[in-house]
Order: sequence, then structure tokens, then C-alpha cells
Amino acid sequence: MALEVAIEKQVDDFRLAVEFKADGAPVGLLGPSGSGKTMTLRAIAGLETPDRGRIVLDGRVLFDSDQRINVPARDRRVGVLFQSYALFPHMTVAENIAFGVRQLSSEERDRRVAEQLASGHVAHLASRYPATLSGGEQQRVALARALATSPAALLLDEPFSALDTHLRNALERQLRETLVSYGGSTLFVSHNLEEAYRVCSNLVVLAHGSVAARGPKEEIFRHPPALEVARVTGCRNFSRACRFADGRVEAIDWGCTLRVAQNFPKPPGHIAIRANHVRVRAWEASDAKNTENLFPCWLAATAEAPFRVTADLRIGTPPANPTDFHLQAEILKHEWESLRNVPQPWAVELAPDRLFLLPD
Amino acid sequence: MNWSAVVLSLRLAVSVAAILLVVGMPIAYWVTFSRWRWKFLVEAIVALPLVLPPTVLGYYILVGLGPRHFAGKLWQSWFGHTLPFTFGGLLAASVLYSLPFAVQPIAAGFDGVDRRLIEASWTLGASRLSTFFRVLLPLSMAGVVTGLVLSFAHTIGEFGVVLMVGGNIPGVTRTVSIDIYDQTQAANYDVANKTALVLLLFSFLVLAFIYGTSRRALGLWRRT
Repeated sequence: MALEVAIEKQVDDFRLAVEFKADGAPVGLLGPSGSGKTMTLRAIAGLETPDRGRIVLDGRVLFDSDQRINVPARDRRVGVLFQSYALFPHMTVAENIAFGVRQLSSEERDRRVAEQLASGHVAHLASRYPATLSGGEQQRVALARALATSPAALLLDEPFSALDTHLRNALERQLRETLVSYGGSTLFVSHNLEEAYRVCSNLVVLAHGSVAARGPKEEIFRHPPALEVARVTGCRNFSRACRFADGRVEAIDWGCTLRVAQNFPKPPGHIAIRANHVRVRAWEASDAKNTENLFPCWLAATAEAPFRVTADLRIGTPPANPTDFHLQAEILKHEWESLRNVPQPWAVELAPDRLFLLPD
Repeated sequence: MNWSAVVLSLRLAVSVAAILLVVGMPIAYWVTFSRWRWKFLVEAIVALPLVLPPTVLGYYILVGLGPRHFAGKLWQSWFGHTLPFTFGGLLAASVLYSLPFAVQPIAAGFDGVDRRLIEASWTLGASRLSTFFRVLLPLSMAGVVTGLVLSFAHTIGEFGVVLMVGGNIPGVTRTVSIDIYDQTQAANYDVANKTALVLLLFSFLVLAFIYGTSRRALGLWRRT
């Protein structure tokens, strides 16, 4: 079970050049909008023709520009769950699911449809039309329709983007269960990193039309190989960096010198830290002596979520205005309640093992 | 009341609508989905009957189908007679004249179908032909019905082209609209009035029936 993709395509001044492999476990295709995720997915499905390259699914060549092979979409056995679900509005749920299995004998067809209606938890909707279904129901029907054809690969194009948060969680769990029992290759396109992290074990991160990172998700989150990747994985604190001797790095934009634990052979372009790794507490008199990775900071602005507060902080001097800050720190609500009334400056600590360097 | 003219008009209009259903859909499909850069030229040609005076179109058809030109010669060598002033000639001219009335609504119908549905059909293993009949056509039925109704109605009402190409031969090319003109010229207002009224009522009933039934048929999957 493997999907191999190596394609290039030029569209106006956007250039897509991606190469990756997906075998068995679901692969998340992650990237900001306009990074080429959807185009890659369409090329695999046969809805878009690459200029050059090769797409192989389970040893079957679907596209090969050198051999002039371009298998039409209908013969690729690649199931697609479209972002908008694309259910046929003039057919009932059962007819939609039966659409791709018409060539089977009527008993086999009925069996497949019944199976998908049951496993998609949409049996009670069988005779309804798509216009009368909720977003979540439509999504389940669309997935059941794609799976009914037993595709060799399943492509999911931001399947949760049109849904409410409370629906997402339930549907996401259901999707994870479905993918476990599904035998083929799965490609999960998303710009939501947490979602992709939960659903997939391997990630491919796209930036500006090319692969910026690929590999096991934990590895990519721990050591993002590039600035774009760090950004896609949710990191918000970056500073241009310049190496000092003895394991120290100057953070140019933050105006401080930091000790880092990471052994980084290349010249660093940026230094970064995740907002939830930035520690903030009251400033104590003894802190003035301890200069390593500990700085006085002032609050520029806050954004409150139900359980966390994002604090925009400026190191060294008070901010001139609410947008004048260096770092964002994520602080749990109960910690914030005790910190908020403490006089500033506060102490911000950037732990050496939480800081990471990025190449230029 | 000239019943043979009424029957002739109906026969002509039904034939034109049927032919345009078969001919118009492939043209509309091509106009909608082709990415050829000179496509607009074909669209302009199809739309020509909308702007040309019927006499100009009739003139070209008359000359083109006549025995001196290629199409006319070909027809004559196959069937042994020329097309002008026959029902066949009238039919050919009417089809050309009503072409945009069929193609444009059908193309608009095709164009209104979400491309993602067509792509979804392909990824589910359906061929282009199967996708056409199972997805595109049912979803653009309103456009197709409109195209058929318009070409039918337009043919019933046409006058200039019929006169140019068909002449005025009773039972062969004398349609209702020409009959009414004749009767009016001859000051038979009573007959002209009756024929005109029959034509009016019939046209209204056909249109009302088709719009009514198609609306209900199309509305089914929107409601429940």
C-alpha cells in the first residue's frame, strides 16, 4: 500500500514541485492557503495534469510524463472527499452512495450501500436528499460515497473546514476510526495543524509550492527544519539570530543573548520558541543577578481564550503601544489571575532546551 | 380556419425542437466546456440568427441550399430534388434559425452546474458520457426545457425565413403565420382572427404545461 508522488506544475507565476511518499498510515498534507495542497491533491485524483513527474499508486503508474501515461480520473481508483462534499443534489443519500458501484451486480451493490450506510452512521438518512442534511451529515455521506467504491487511495480535502467546532470533534473521532479500518493510502489535506496531528502519523509540510518538511509528526514538531514549517506547526515567536561563541546566540529582534541546548551545525537564521513554552512570573530582586535566559518584560496586550491567555510581551523596556512586543506567551487562566495584579516588570524565562534554531 | 396550416406549423415546430435537442446539446456542451481560444468565433456564429433580419438569413439559406451551391448539389444528388420550397428545406432553415434559442439556454444550464459535482462523478469512476446523463443533464434540465420550449415557440412564430425558403405552398410550406398573413391580405379578418386565436391559445397552453411540469419535476429534490 503506497502512494508515490513526484510532480511539477507551473501555473502563471506559481510553481508547484512536490515529492513525497505515503504508505499505509495516514499522511497529513499541511500548509498555509496558496501553498499548493489542493493542487497536489487534484493532480493525484487526475483532475489536474502536472507538467512533469510521476504518480504511482500500489505499483500502478497513474501518471508519468516520460512514458506519456495519464490515467483518467475515473480509472484511478482514487476516492476524494471534497471540501464542499459535492453530493449530487438530485439523488438521495442511498443513490449518492450507490453512484460509484453501478457496475456491480444488484445484490453486491445493495450490500455495499447498506454497509456504508451503516458504518457511516447515515442509515436513517438513506432516502433523504442532500439539501435537507446538516453539514456533518453531508460530510459522512460524502465519505461513505467515496469508500463505497473501495478506492486504493483516499484523499480528504479539508474535510472539517465547513463544520462547527462541536461537530468537528465527533466527526474527527469517527474519521480516525474509519481510517484505521480502511486499508488504502490516505492523504489528509489541512491547514489546521492540531487536526492533522491527531489524524495523521506522518506529515508533509508545503510552503510556496514545495515540500518544506516531511516525516514523523513528532519529529517535525520538535525540530522544524525551516521557518515556514515552524510557522505552520503553530510557532509564533521568531527572532533573527546570530551565533556567539560557547553555545550562545544573539536574538537580534528580541535584543538579548540566549544560551541554547540544541547542537546546531549550520549557521542559524532564526531562533524560535513556542508560546506555551515561554514562562512568565513575578520579578524578584534576586533575578537581577541571574542573567541567563531570564529577562525583565512588560505587557503590551492580551487576548483571552476560555482557558488560556495570550500575553504579548516586550523584553527590556516598556512598550510604546499595544503592538510593540517581542514575544507571545500562553498562560493558563488560573496562573494569569495571580500574575495580572503583580507590578511590572515581570520575569520572562526562555528555557535553553525549549529554544530552537532554524537555518536561513 | 385553415387546419392544414395549423398541422403543418405544429409538425414543423415539433420536428425543429426534436432536432435541436439532438444537435443543440453537443454544441452547448462544447461551448460550455471547450478551452479552445477561438471558441468565441463559434459562439458568434451560433448567435447570428438573433441579430440578422430573417430575410438575410433566408436569402443565404435559399441560395446555399439551391442547386448551384455545394450543399444544394449534394442534397440533389442524394435525394433527387432540391431543398427550397419543400418541407425539408423549411425544416433545415428553421433549425438554423432557432439554433441560438436552443443552444444558449442549454449552455447556460450546463454552465450553472457546479464543476465539483462533475469532478466528483469522474473520481467515482463514471465516464464522461455517463457523467453527462447522470449528473450534468438532470441538473441542467431547466435550461434544456427552456431551450426546447423556446425553439418550439420560435418556430411556430417565424415568418420571414419561412417565406424566403419555403414560399407559400398550401399543405407543404404554408404555415400558420403565413396563412394569417394571407387571410389578412385578402381581408378575411374572420378566418385570420380564428386562426390567430387558436395559435395563441395553443402556444400558451403548451408553454404553461411545460413550465409547470418541469418546475415541479425539478423542485422535487429541493423540497424534501
